[in-house]
Amino acid sequence: MQPPMGNDRPPQGVPGRPVSAFVPGAATAAPPPSSFGAASAPRAPFAPPPQAAASPAAPFAAAPPAAMAGYRGPPPPQRPFGAGPPQQGPFAAAAPPPQGPFTSAPSSQGPFAAAPQPPSQGPFGTAPPPSQGPFGTAPPPSQGPFGTAPPPSQGPFGTAPPPSQGPFAASVPPSQGPFASAPPPFRPPPSLVQSPTASGMAPPSVYVRPPPPVQSQPPPVQGFYGGPPPANQQFPMSRPAFQQPVQTMPPPPMVGFGNQAAYATGGPPTGGTLQSLVEDFQSLSVSSAPGSLDPGVDVKGLPRPLDGDEEPTKVLEAYPLNCHPRYFRLTTHAIPASQSLVSRWHLPLGAVEVPVINFGSAGVIRCRRCRTYINPYATFADAGRKWRCNLCTLLNDVPGEYFCGIDGSGRRYDADQRPELSKGTVEFVAPTEYMVRPPMPPSYFFLIDVSVSAVRSGLLEVVAKTIKSCLDDLPGFPRTQIGFLTFDSTLHFHNFKSSLSQPQMMVVADLDDVFLPLPDDLLVNLVDSRHVVESFLDSLPNMFQDNVNVESALGPALKAAFMVMSQIGGKLLVFQSTLPSLGVGRLRLRGDDVRAYGTDKEHSLRVPEDPFYKQMAAEFTKNQIAVDIFSFSDKYCDIASLGSLAKYTGGQVYHYPSFQAVTHGDKLKHELSRDLTRETAWESVMRIRCGKGVRFTTYHGHFMLRSTDLLALPAVDSDKAFAMQLSLEETLMTTQTVYFQVALLYPFLPIWRIRVHTAAAPVVTDLGEMYRQADTGAIVSLLSRIAVENSLSDKLDSVRQQLQLKLVRSLKEYRNLYVVQHRIGGRLIYPESLRFLPLYILSICKSLALRGGYADVSLDERCAAGFSMMILPAKKLLNFIYPSLYRVDEVLSMEPDRIGGSLKQLPLTMQCLDTGGLYLLDDGFTFLVWLGRMLPPELVNNILGVSLANFPDLSKVQLRECDNEYSRNFMKILGTLRERDPSYHQLCRVVRQGEQPREGFLLLSNLVEDQMAGTSSYMDWILQIHRQTQS
Amino acid sequence: MVFVWLTAFFLVVALIVLVIYQLMCLADLEFDYINPFDSSSRINKVVIPEFVLQAALSVLFLLSGHWAMFLLSAPMVYYNYTLYQRRQHLVDVTEIFNHLGREKKRRLFKIVGLIVLLFLSLFWSSGEARQQDHFL
Repeated sequence: MQPPMGNDRPPQGVPGRPVSAFVPGAATAAPPPSSFGAASAPRAPFAPPPQAAASPAAPFAAAPPAAMAGYRGPPPPQRPFGAGPPQQGPFAAAAPPPQGPFTSAPSSQGPFAAAPQPPSQGPFGTAPPPSQGPFGTAPPPSQGPFGTAPPPSQGPFGTAPPPSQGPFAASVPPSQGPFASAPPPFRPPPSLVQSPTASGMAPPSVYVRPPPPVQSQPPPVQGFYGGPPPANQQFPMSRPAFQQPVQTMPPPPMVGFGNQAAYATGGPPTGGTLQSLVEDFQSLSVSSAPGSLDPGVDVKGLPRPLDGDEEPTKVLEAYPLNCHPRYFRLTTHAIPASQSLVSRWHLPLGAVEVPVINFGSAGVIRCRRCRTYINPYATFADAGRKWRCNLCTLLNDVPGEYFCGIDGSGRRYDADQRPELSKGTVEFVAPTEYMVRPPMPPSYFFLIDVSVSAVRSGLLEVVAKTIKSCLDDLPGFPRTQIGFLTFDSTLHFHNFKSSLSQPQMMVVADLDDVFLPLPDDLLVNLVDSRHVVESFLDSLPNMFQDNVNVESALGPALKAAFMVMSQIGGKLLVFQSTLPSLGVGRLRLRGDDVRAYGTDKEHSLRVPEDPFYKQMAAEFTKNQIAVDIFSFSDKYCDIASLGSLAKYTGGQVYHYPSFQAVTHGDKLKHELSRDLTRETAWESVMRIRCGKGVRFTTYHGHFMLRSTDLLALPAVDSDKAFAMQLSLEETLMTTQTVYFQVALLYPFLPIWRIRVHTAAAPVVTDLGEMYRQADTGAIVSLLSRIAVENSLSDKLDSVRQQLQLKLVRSLKEYRNLYVVQHRIGGRLIYPESLRFLPLYILSICKSLALRGGYADVSLDERCAAGFSMMILPAKKLLNFIYPSLYRVDEVLSMEPDRIGGSLKQLPLTMQCLDTGGLYLLDDGFTFLVWLGRMLPPELVNNILGVSLANFPDLSKVQLRECDNEYSRNFMKILGTLRERDPSYHQLCRVVRQGEQPREGFLLLSNLVEDQMAGTSSYMDWILQIHRQTQS
Repeated sequence: MVFVWLTAFFLVVALIVLVIYQLMCLADLEFDYINPFDSSSRINKVVIPEFVLQAALSVLFLLSGHWAMFLLSAPMVYYNYTLYQRRQHLVDVTEIFNHLGREKKRRLFKIVGLIVLLFLSLFWSSGEARQQDHFL
């Protein structure tokens, strides 16, 4: 039995260890005899008990002789791990029995390897050496105990691990060794485990996934040492008790476990190799032991999401009629059946949804009670004359014209022809009764700050040019409407009447009582007035060239814009380059007050200061106006207040700190054109319906709730996602499946359309299944939104603690599911599906919006990042909090075609940065080019076009394509990465190794796996989480 | 004296009406009979009058020397005052759905307090009336 396990695992570093380990183990053992000596001594005592033990001991032995004394203690712990032991199970049965260690051993070993036995015996006698040998190598030994641990560590990341073995399994082989020596008795238990694992393993093997075990090899060692780790100690205690029972039990348990194991690992069938094991953190405790080595966690073994987001596409296999997960993702694709289950699921339960467009069909059939749209999961009855709503189970009549017969299985004959019955995402043409009013023409109104800072930074020119270039592509031709209002300390209205040849400017200086100088012609049809608009845009940069006005009357300007647009709705783009200083809605420089941090008032910096902005936002949504904020200030301009305009109107916040046309021009140009020309659904409303017993409670994103479940979205597009949380209404769910239907009503000129996404999720009664079906991307997305929202009413510190608490609770719960039956006491275990969760949570805590305190991020940037995180779709969000890092210099000389494929994402840690390399960090908003100190000067020269020898100011360096292969390839790489996601344009910044402070805040703060001031490194984080899950 | 009790009685009744009106707006909102814009503007319109009436009631008790009644109504005035200080007295239309539960709970507590006041003032006034009868 064991053998299989061993096989599964691929040993990473340690040759042979894995499965092979066993057998090989023997072989390997031989090599490191040195340890034997020490080991042997200790063993002697133990030896009698189990030969096997000897072998285990060996591993330990390797560590430190001293440890030996400790061994006994430690071993016990190991036993817990027993997972390993279980494998031994076979042994156990045999071995445990005092039969003589040997006798038993042989049998047990038998499975492992013939080789081992000999060694084992040796241990007792002189043999020990051999056994130790294997272990001898310190690392292996450690593993030995954990058995799985070592391999896992390697494996964890790797695929190797036999993850399949499942956490447990993994341990097995090693365990055997360890256990064997330590306590034969325990083995039995392990055996149990093993069996499970064994059985389980098979399935796992199928899965390619590597278990994400985070093992710390060292820890094991520690364990041996003393009983330092509490866990260990506990085990020792328990062991005795267990042993006996266990021994007897072995057989029966095996059976029982088998199932469980299957479950666990078996998850595979459903979820894959789930579990994972992870690490023994015994090492942690160990660390306190004098003389122990560093923490045993193998940093390289920790799971890292280097492939970016994984969409839960396997859901589609189970539910082919669901809409694509790109549009709708549940945090776990299994709905808990009861309240008690919910209370044990500490992660948010909810969904992330991106409304996007697809195809259309005609005719709208809806449930008369809950207004659900007909969908693939609706069932037909009564020979096709009735259909049963899958959400509320009401039986509805099928209209005569929609009638079609059904076949024996209840399926309509025409199901394949009707997209609404065969696809998860469809569009209906809305009948006239759905219209509140006929679709309005798309309208764009620009509110441009022309005070001195806007003029100086070159902002006006970029904006005018970009808008002009987009005029042809604005959606809604030929009905598109457009208008402009510029302001500084006064408001400048522009008359674009089509009969004029030049726009007329009218200045209104009365800020207290804003009025419109003209009843119309401020917002005009683009086609009719095209020439006037163009001449305005041409003259805009020059018109205010000499403006020295430093004031900005944003509030009155917003009111004026509201008056202009209130009838039609549309999109309002605000270009703001200073703090609003005049009229209603003026803001003061409340600035970033260092004294506020850490107090109860801290959060007030992040909420709108003046209620005016929230009121305006409410008015805007009511009139179907979406506000996008473009902010350019180099000083504080209170994004927290301005952003609330976007937050409640379905808009977006773009922040360009210290805008300079030269550097930021491209980014602004790209993002502004994207904003203007992307496909947009105007004045739409979105509603999510769900089946009986479940209810959506809280919504997160940029929108305004018009009723408890209706999101008002004055403008929505594919760059925005919404998240919501679910709650159960009934204590016990009686249905088998819960259905969700997202409907977005939007105008598709000249009619209204309804896009409907339908999805189904099973109801489960098992918490383990929920974990198995969990979707990390959706969970992280929802958690980060909740965290950002919490930061508006709480201290950053406590927000981070809450995140950590959620993580710990969920892992603890998961641990409780499996820890007893598998006796994996000292390990951190987590489900395969959530293997990246700890790292992502750490990344959220270190994200721009939530990191550090006063000095770490400027308040405006923090708020802007918070607003972005509230709307980013899951994939972009994951990339934002855990940016991609590539080494570029190696691929620059390749064929241009091969470059794309050869970029490999690296873990975000300083250790990955080689001083002779050129690295590129991409977080979706910025490219950071990092030049290693030892990078050949020619290369730098070729790419930057300047020589570093002159100490150029890298913050001003512009990357342009130069006439050489490197530069062309480099620009090509940037281009490829930018094309992957057109919603934002990454601003390219260059930084040299050691160039402080820029390197610090540009790069180092993004290396989320490293330790930064006051934050923990990935490894510490895992240790911390582990420790907390143990308590 | 009877005049004081009568005034107090009507003040309390008026307060109860105002708070119930707000609760109805919130309930309507919850059941989707009204949109958040109307709901919050209706509620916000009566918040300040409610606070003023509440304060007037306390002052009335204080001046007329009904210390016990004053002590009962003073905490509510203080609570209103702190809300006002924190600028939380008005309903925020943009977040109204998230705060629905909190707003309702607040008003339910208020109404319980007001009903206690109502009964107390009824008993006292009738008691006082009886006393006067006695004197006669």
